[in-house]
Amino acid sequence: MTTGELFLQQLINGLNLGAMYSLLALGFTLVYGIMELINFSHFNVFMVGAFIALGVLRLMGLDGQIVILTGLPLVVVILVAFVVTMFSTGMIGVGIERLLLRPLRAVTGPAAMILTIGVSYILFNIILIGVGGDTRNFANPLPSVSWHFGEATLRLRDVLIWGITIVLMLGLTYFVQFTKLGKGMRATAQDPEAARMMGVEVDNVVGLSFFIGSALAGASGLIFGLYYNYAKVDMGFSAGLRAFTAAVLGGIGNVPGAMLGGVLIGLIEAGSSQLIGQAWADVIIFSILVIVLVFRPAGLLGRQAPNKS
Amino acid sequence: MAVTDILARPFASWSQQKRQGWATILVAVAFAIYPFLTDDDSNIDTIANAMSYATLALGLNIVVGFAGLLDLGYAAFFAIGAYYYGIFTAYQVMPPWSSGWEPLAAVGLVEKINQGGGDLVHFTLSFWLALPTGALVAGLFGVLFGAPTLRLRGDYLAIVTLGFGEIVPIVARNADSITNGAAGLNGVKGPALPAIKALGFEGYSFGVNATPYYYVGMVLVAILIFSSIRLRDSRIGRAWMAIREDETAASAMGINLRNFKLLAFAIGASFSGFTGVYFVSKLQVATPEMFNFSVSSMLIVMVVLGGMGSVWGVVVGAALLQLLQTWILPRSTDVIRAIGESVGSDFLMAADLVQWTQMFFGIIIVVMMLFRREGLIPATRAQPKLDLEEQQADVKRGGFVNVDRIEKWNPGTGNALEIKDVTVRFGGLVALNKVSLTIPAGGVIAVIGPNGSGKSTLFNAITGLVPSEGSIKFEGHELIGLRPDEVLAAGVARTFQNIRLFPKLTVLENVLIGQHCRLKTLPFGAIFRPPAARAEEQGALRKALDILGLFGNRLSPRANHTVAGLSYANRRRVEISRALASRPRILLLDEPTAGMNPNETLELAEQIGELNAMGLTILIIEHKLDVVTRLANRVTVLDHGDVIAEGTADEVQRNEEVLTAYLGRAHRAKIEAQDAAAKENANG
Repeated sequence: MTTGELFLQQLINGLNLGAMYSLLALGFTLVYGIMELINFSHFNVFMVGAFIALGVLRLMGLDGQIVILTGLPLVVVILVAFVVTMFSTGMIGVGIERLLLRPLRAVTGPAAMILTIGVSYILFNIILIGVGGDTRNFANPLPSVSWHFGEATLRLRDVLIWGITIVLMLGLTYFVQFTKLGKGMRATAQDPEAARMMGVEVDNVVGLSFFIGSALAGASGLIFGLYYNYAKVDMGFSAGLRAFTAAVLGGIGNVPGAMLGGVLIGLIEAGSSQLIGQAWADVIIFSILVIVLVFRPAGLLGRQAPNKS
Repeated sequence: MAVTDILARPFASWSQQKRQGWATILVAVAFAIYPFLTDDDSNIDTIANAMSYATLALGLNIVVGFAGLLDLGYAAFFAIGAYYYGIFTAYQVMPPWSSGWEPLAAVGLVEKINQGGGDLVHFTLSFWLALPTGALVAGLFGVLFGAPTLRLRGDYLAIVTLGFGEIVPIVARNADSITNGAAGLNGVKGPALPAIKALGFEGYSFGVNATPYYYVGMVLVAILIFSSIRLRDSRIGRAWMAIREDETAASAMGINLRNFKLLAFAIGASFSGFTGVYFVSKLQVATPEMFNFSVSSMLIVMVVLGGMGSVWGVVVGAALLQLLQTWILPRSTDVIRAIGESVGSDFLMAADLVQWTQMFFGIIIVVMMLFRREGLIPATRAQPKLDLEEQQADVKRGGFVNVDRIEKWNPGTGNALEIKDVTVRFGGLVALNKVSLTIPAGGVIAVIGPNGSGKSTLFNAITGLVPSEGSIKFEGHELIGLRPDEVLAAGVARTFQNIRLFPKLTVLENVLIGQHCRLKTLPFGAIFRPPAARAEEQGALRKALDILGLFGNRLSPRANHTVAGLSYANRRRVEISRALASRPRILLLDEPTAGMNPNETLELAEQIGELNAMGLTILIIEHKLDVVTRLANRVTVLDHGDVIAEGTADEVQRNEEVLTAYLGRAHRAKIEAQDAAAKENANG
């Protein structure tokens, strides 16, 4: 491959990763924006989402790489997979919030964050014990349609991932900016107390942000499966950490920031894998996390400094 | 607590200290003789492993429990200690031999070997030397990782340390030439006791026998428990806990946040480095998998289970988790399988609870956070009950009691504080606009003005909590640009409008923290308590009690109560005591009587007057005009960040602008009525 083709290919790869990280980062950012909580359970809600998607596809008769669908059946299968996965992980998020985090809402200090570490552990072990720790093949019913630009390849899969991500993001932006609940959400993020007094039902808003964030994590898990063609119980950790980095890079609490940050981290990962090797990509990304937090804690787009105290 | 109460009953006549001392000795003796009572080497091995977890948990407890810095990548320092020892004893890194190595060979740190090819250097670092130096190396890495990240707020620190915790194993996995990659370092040397010919001692190699490791582990645990307790009960431990409770207040009370956070990180890391050397010498292998996130999180579980900040708690937490992993779960599995066999259930027969270990970790965290956040053995002690007499406190006129125990101030002459053209901006908002104000030494100056007029911002600017322009000179020294702790050390102490005490600490601890910048004890002194450190601590204690004694029986009987449980007025008094403990030369009081009833207000006003009479310069923000009139030599009125009037209390009350902006029509009517009455008296 020429340098130009390599660049193009890594751009395509990076955008796929970026789509995945953006969706996952949105969950971190929504919850942080509203509750100032780093939700570690999000790492493994993402992983559980991938396994739910795997199960849903299997229930629809898609197992491994054998079955290829086209036309309406493909659209239906993809749609059902996304809707069921997103709804399920959304409900998991709501359950975590309602049952475990709500009792800690009034507690100051790191208790809620530590609790989410425990929840993350539990989710991890539910899959580990229930499904097992080995790599599971992820069904990919997409026909292998692709377009070639020199030796760089753009596959139908890539276009689908981008398309779905863009639809989800537009939907979220519309919701947050223009609907009544979305306004309530933004109000709560700024000042929960004032929002409550203005008639915003803060409990519902918090629950909703968990639902949306976790549903997007589910979508992200499904995209991971479609992109890498596998699901594994430990996939949540590094994807989650990258997505969190993306949220911080864009400005945590800032919805467009999470989208931008996700894409940037995806591109950075693809680029650094190409240039210095996959093994060191993590080191690069964590270094970015540290550098951003230390020198520009508000992120690229964030206006509010995280150090409100 | 109930169980220990029952156990303690026969020894009720002993002092608590004596009881705890004997209980500790008893536990130590039990551990010391245990290997002679069992012939199962695997039990000894299990306990030796538990000991290494306990030492790690103790280190993490310093960072998380004492200083409140949530470190999720703590295992990284464990790995650094382990690889440090591994690299310098295993046959991995072997530079070519040259004569330059001979001095090191002479002291036994390296040896010359030949594996075919040229002569090579083989490092032969002694275990006993590696323990302290491993702690040192890990501590240095603690500073290295900590320096850029400790400015971050707690939850960000968590995620960054998680990243660091992940990077270290990645580096270990990829830096093949040094660490042998994923396969890990093999053939790490086990410890040995050198032969002492004079005593006829032949030397002893630990080998794979668990018992010597058990005793080394026991000594390590003892050393680290001892150090933890000594640090906790010192100036250093108090500073950490202050940071944990309220960083801003800690800084305003003279604690250098950066240094003390780094110190917590370094000491925590050094405990971990210590353990890394021990652990690797015991296993004689070091692989990247030994130090990943699951180790860090297991340590978090131990600390959470035992009680954050509780030294004995985390040791118990570590023991319980090891018990869960090596005994409870395997045994329960056996029991369930036996039941399965008797009822013929394949499901039960296939049960394997050991697989569920990490599930239980998660459940423990969740349950503890929901139902018992302070852990099994909470760090805060039960509070002594007060008898009726101690509870009773009449509002007494006449100010302080036992004043003679407090050293008087010499206010000096001239101006104490000279504030010139100070401007503070928050974004586009100008909170203070070229404010100038002079406080004469030994005077009382009041600042009044409507809410939002910039009074507290002025205090924040003086004490370095907000950046400002202009000049603030205290006894000739410029304060602008100094950190809050440096301002306090210069002699400017303050209280906060909304009371910023350290809620989970006791009254006494709060006041002792006030003395932080006047004390000097460093970690060495805190742990070994040489006579100087001991005398300093006792002096500080006496001084703190004297200051609390000023308020009669309001605070003294409550010295060992946590401040969270005090009444509002008492918390105000503790905050003033804390500020006085720093031995300030000027005291800044931000609405000291807010929320007090009229009698309490009067009492406090008299006490403030008395402080002034003792020579302390005072700058006070106050809304209650009778307090201002009673105390202040001069009054400055702020409105929207501008000084709108300045003069005696009487003068500013008549100032047209002040009446319009702040005091209002009712006050104008009151003043006019007073004047009319005075005129009538004069005429009549």
